Amino acid sequence: MSNSARESILDSIRTHLAASPPADDPPVTPANPVIPSKSDPVNRFKESVESVSGKCIITTDAADVLKQILTDLNAQRIAYSDNAPNAHDIFSYDVGISTAQAAIAETGTLVLDSDCERHRLVSLVPPVHIAIVNASSIVETLSDALTRLQKKEISPAITFITGPSRTADIELTLAIGVHGPQELYVIVDGSK
Amino acid sequence: MNHLSSETFKENARAALADVQLRGALKNATSLFGDRRKAAAASLPNWEDLRSQARAIKDDVLLHLDRYLEEFVRNAESRGATVHWARDAAEANSIICGLATERAARIVVKSKSMTTEETHLNDALEAAGMQVVETDLGEYIIQLAHEPPSHIIAPAIHKTRQQIGALFTAELGMRPTDNVDQMTSTARMKLRDRFAAADVGISGVNFAIAETGTIVIVENEGNIRLTTSLPRLHIAVMGIEKVIPRFNDLDVFLKLLPRSGTGQRLTTYQSFITGTKRASTDEGPDELHIVLLDNGRSRMLAHPVTRQSLACIRCGACLNACPVYQQVGGHAYGSVYPGPIGAVITPQLMGIQKAAQLPYASSLCGACREVCPVKIDIPRLLLHLRGEISPRKGSATERLAFKMWARVMTSPSLYRLSSVAGRILQRVMPISRAWTNGRDLRPIESKSFHDLYE
Repeated sequence: MSNSARESILDSIRTHLAASPPADDPPVTPANPVIPSKSDPVNRFKESVESVSGKCIITTDAADVLKQILTDLNAQRIAYSDNAPNAHDIFSYDVGISTAQAAIAETGTLVLDSDCERHRLVSLVPPVHIAIVNASSIVETLSDALTRLQKKEISPAITFITGPSRTADIELTLAIGVHGPQELYVIVDGSK
Repeated sequence: MNHLSSETFKENARAALADVQLRGALKNATSLFGDRRKAAAASLPNWEDLRSQARAIKDDVLLHLDRYLEEFVRNAESRGATVHWARDAAEANSIICGLATERAARIVVKSKSMTTEETHLNDALEAAGMQVVETDLGEYIIQLAHEPPSHIIAPAIHKTRQQIGALFTAELGMRPTDNVDQMTSTARMKLRDRFAAADVGISGVNFAIAETGTIVIVENEGNIRLTTSLPRLHIAVMGIEKVIPRFNDLDVFLKLLPRSGTGQRLTTYQSFITGTKRASTDEGPDELHIVLLDNGRSRMLAHPVTRQSLACIRCGACLNACPVYQQVGGHAYGSVYPGPIGAVITPQLMGIQKAAQLPYASSLCGACREVCPVKIDIPRLLLHLRGEISPRKGSATERLAFKMWARVMTSPSLYRLSSVAGRILQRVMPISRAWTNGRDLRPIESKSFHDLYE
């Protein structure tokens, strides 16, 4: 059944393409992409995170900053991406902590790779997500990040995160934290 | 005013025009989206190049669609996904219901998917005895209200916060309020309960990468991540045109799609899913099934003009830019896909006679073409479809009138005579109502330009 559907769809594609008259428009010929100018990626990343309602702290003592944030939040139940509770228990946690394998300066985006972040739901389900990223892993552009992801066999799940969860489905009024966290902290570790 | 038919677009539009609340909501939404899109496009120095690049990639894909699909399927299957081919909506629904039934599924969570709206999957799943829960906030609202979406990216755009508040109070037992944050957190709580209980997660697909077998899904809310992570079975449904050749092509499309849709640089989340998880103890579903849907798409390949329709990335920019959509909204189109792109896709998917009014739901002003991130020439498509609907339409009187008009316009003496005669006749003769119903006819000036020039 599915095999015949496959053949019949592929046949239909080939038959209809073969029947097509040639296009009378000239084909679109793109120009060379503009290379964006390089700037200080760490500060640009911070600005981008803040522009999407995230908080970003650049530090040389990530552990201390993390401790301070957890104290301020009065966090009781904390889930870590390398040692998370069962996916279904995670709903009762206050804070999720993960690292990020890369980050994109131009968009303020965190890149979580399932080969390193085994439990990515800690970045989504608890009301607060804290991510720790090495300053050296911040790349300038989306294009740089995509190129980096292809240096090895692509992992089963890659997640890009840009700011806390949001919606504007009711009268286009922005509401933060619909299905995901209301707050996102990014700690940029500049110690190495 | 739900579940209207495309066959009655004119009546639907007339009713929508009389709905003051709807027109206010549409004006706010389309102008806000339009302004944001404009600012986001202007923030990139190479916007026009990106559009050209995107179109060139899509043209290449469509001309070799068989090859790219086979490459995508090979790579997705080598990573543990199971791919199904569906010729039409019924076949897709039967595959999906079969997968769910075989696993004794009872609760299905869905993230927003226009393709499953097109196949009316929810009806099929419910008929098979399953509870289906839409988890995108906008989709959840219209599911509770039993209405179809009215915008590609903002499905509940036609409803006010008061209407949604009343709906949540009636359906979810929320304490009466029209506070958006409170409504949002009510939905969050109700939906989390469904996520935790769901057996199957069904999503759409924004891009399918041939080179790696990866599917990419973009969103802001986080419900897609939950839908594709928590249930044991993930089913992704995609039109066959969603494939793109290379992983690096995402650079172009991920720049264009969010900027064109909501004016964001990137949406909050992008999920790149390549096959199934490596170890059974890892987070994520045990099974990934991808359903490739034709449903009339391969037919559109048969002509370079109609083929363009398949380049669409469903950003919704043409809806916001369209003076017709801005006034009548999505429901008037009576189709899953509204607005200019809906007016070209619907007749091709449903059969031209079922949506014969839609290609005329446009003034051909070209605003849609200006904003389209993949440069689809929608006005040309509309004209092409009009030609297919009525190659020789028009009454004998109309044909005679145009013949005479051509004769008069090509003869200087007849033209002069006509302008004198017109001035007199306009006062004494009624002009056809059919012509003036939708247009103003200005009185002819008492002196022509020619008279003044002399």
